[in-house]
Amino acid sequence: MSTTSMVVEQSEAAQPELVARAEIDRSCRVPVLLFAGSAVFWLVAGSLMALVAAIKMHTPGFLTEWEFLTFGRVRPVHLNMTIFGWASMAGIATLLWLQARLARACLPFGNLLIAGGVVWNVALTAGLVEISIGHGTSVEWIEIPLFWALVFAAVFAVVMAASLTMFGRRKVAHVYVSQWYLFGAVLWFPFLYLTANLLIHGGFTAGTTAAATNWWFAHNVLGLWLTPIGLATIYYLIPKVIGAPIHSYHLSLLGFWSLALFYNWAGTHHLIGGPLPAWLVTVGIVGSVMMFVPVVTVGINHHMTMVGHFRRLKDSPTLRFVVFGGMSYTVVSVQGSLTSLRSINEVNHFTHYTIAHAHLGVYAFFSMVMFGALYYMLPRLTGREWGSARLIKLHFWAAALGIALYWGPLTIGGWVQGLQMNNPDLPFLQVVAGTIPYLWGRTAAGVLMTVGHCVFGLLLLQMLRGGGHAQNPARSQAATGGEVKA
Amino acid sequence: MSPVYWLVWGVVVAFALSAVSGLVWAIQHGQMERFAAGARSIFDAEEPVGTVTDGFPRREGRSGP
Repeated sequence: MSTTSMVVEQSEAAQPELVARAEIDRSCRVPVLLFAGSAVFWLVAGSLMALVAAIKMHTPGFLTEWEFLTFGRVRPVHLNMTIFGWASMAGIATLLWLQARLARACLPFGNLLIAGGVVWNVALTAGLVEISIGHGTSVEWIEIPLFWALVFAAVFAVVMAASLTMFGRRKVAHVYVSQWYLFGAVLWFPFLYLTANLLIHGGFTAGTTAAATNWWFAHNVLGLWLTPIGLATIYYLIPKVIGAPIHSYHLSLLGFWSLALFYNWAGTHHLIGGPLPAWLVTVGIVGSVMMFVPVVTVGINHHMTMVGHFRRLKDSPTLRFVVFGGMSYTVVSVQGSLTSLRSINEVNHFTHYTIAHAHLGVYAFFSMVMFGALYYMLPRLTGREWGSARLIKLHFWAAALGIALYWGPLTIGGWVQGLQMNNPDLPFLQVVAGTIPYLWGRTAAGVLMTVGHCVFGLLLLQMLRGGGHAQNPARSQAATGGEVKA
Repeated sequence: MSPVYWLVWGVVVAFALSAVSGLVWAIQHGQMERFAAGARSIFDAEEPVGTVTDGFPRREGRSGP
């Protein structure tokens, strides 16, 4: 027996939490790695499709020889790769691991979840092929045909069952705030997804009713799926990494319950000016403005928890990404609430401003938090450390500068575009030509972010192939079934 | 008005009601009490308050805290 193994056995005897945590991590290992690894694959693939779409915006003749690479197909392929490939699969990986850690219960239905991960990848690939060959539905965020959407819904059901089972088996009586958010994500989103798909693709809606259903769903992909998972992760990882409880637990719970009550009403603000009943749109605006309550509570809480610990950002990759994501959540939410006001929306609607806003939410907030979560989770699941601090820093700066370069200029450019479109004296083509410099900036930002994603993929590959060094005993034990390799 | 509006808003109201039900459950089961202990529930003897649990690899390919 190696010296390391003896040390671990002694520490096990003295620290039952260590053994329990290793057991929980071991139960998560294969399903979570499958979802996380797939997520990173789709992230890289989705970034490349985004680049193609971005270039086409200012150079329309780029790659027009093949139908499947025309803008109308590349753009939804990018969206579905990043939302249902990257964001949802990274979210499910994080959700499962977090719920297991917080409930202090092993992950159940391991084989079913592994099968679910495989089926999810197959369904997504099939859906992307359908879009690429012209069989997409053309309904934004629901472009994948109904059959494959039902397959996703079946996998959602397995994830929901696993999460609720762990919640039911929890060994801690107190329900931590992150668990409430996870609870919301797994309870609300699968029903939302199924309802929207059946209503829109099942022939129950058309015209304005389809649009109302569409934007109620699309906005809630962020509101009831990505946001709860992202905030749950932040509320767990910031305190865990810095070793200090969150600043105000009262505020954290107020934040969750106000989000639960207000967020799902907000989607119809996307249809301001559309031919819908005024009250329907107004309800969406009211819901959006009420979101100031959870956003302010979350913003204050995250900031005040970090006060006195900001120096840790220098040392922790997880903290860098998660704090960046947390700050972006405040910015994107405040921007979103303001954007829902009719007086502002009449300028920014149908402009690049909205695209910048969407990326601020899904990338600067959610994706950055997921990067941080994966940097924290994966060494504990594989028992191996990340291979290079320099590459992690390169990933962070490429992603952070990339999204800053994306959001800033495109927001300004979009606003100018909106003001010009509202001026009847300006020819439309002149307005379009005015956006081209901002669109070049968007492509440059996309290159930066894609570089970061490729670096992240490289780091993950290196870790999965066993290139990194063995981690501390708690992490190694989870990965090797109790035997710690010296 | 199309019945679809009512169906969509019915689901919206159902979501809101599920949130209210969860809130009632939380209050009845003592989840809104002892907040300080709740905030510390993610820490344990192995990783107590004050323990930093993440860091960059110390050198290329070496483990952090």
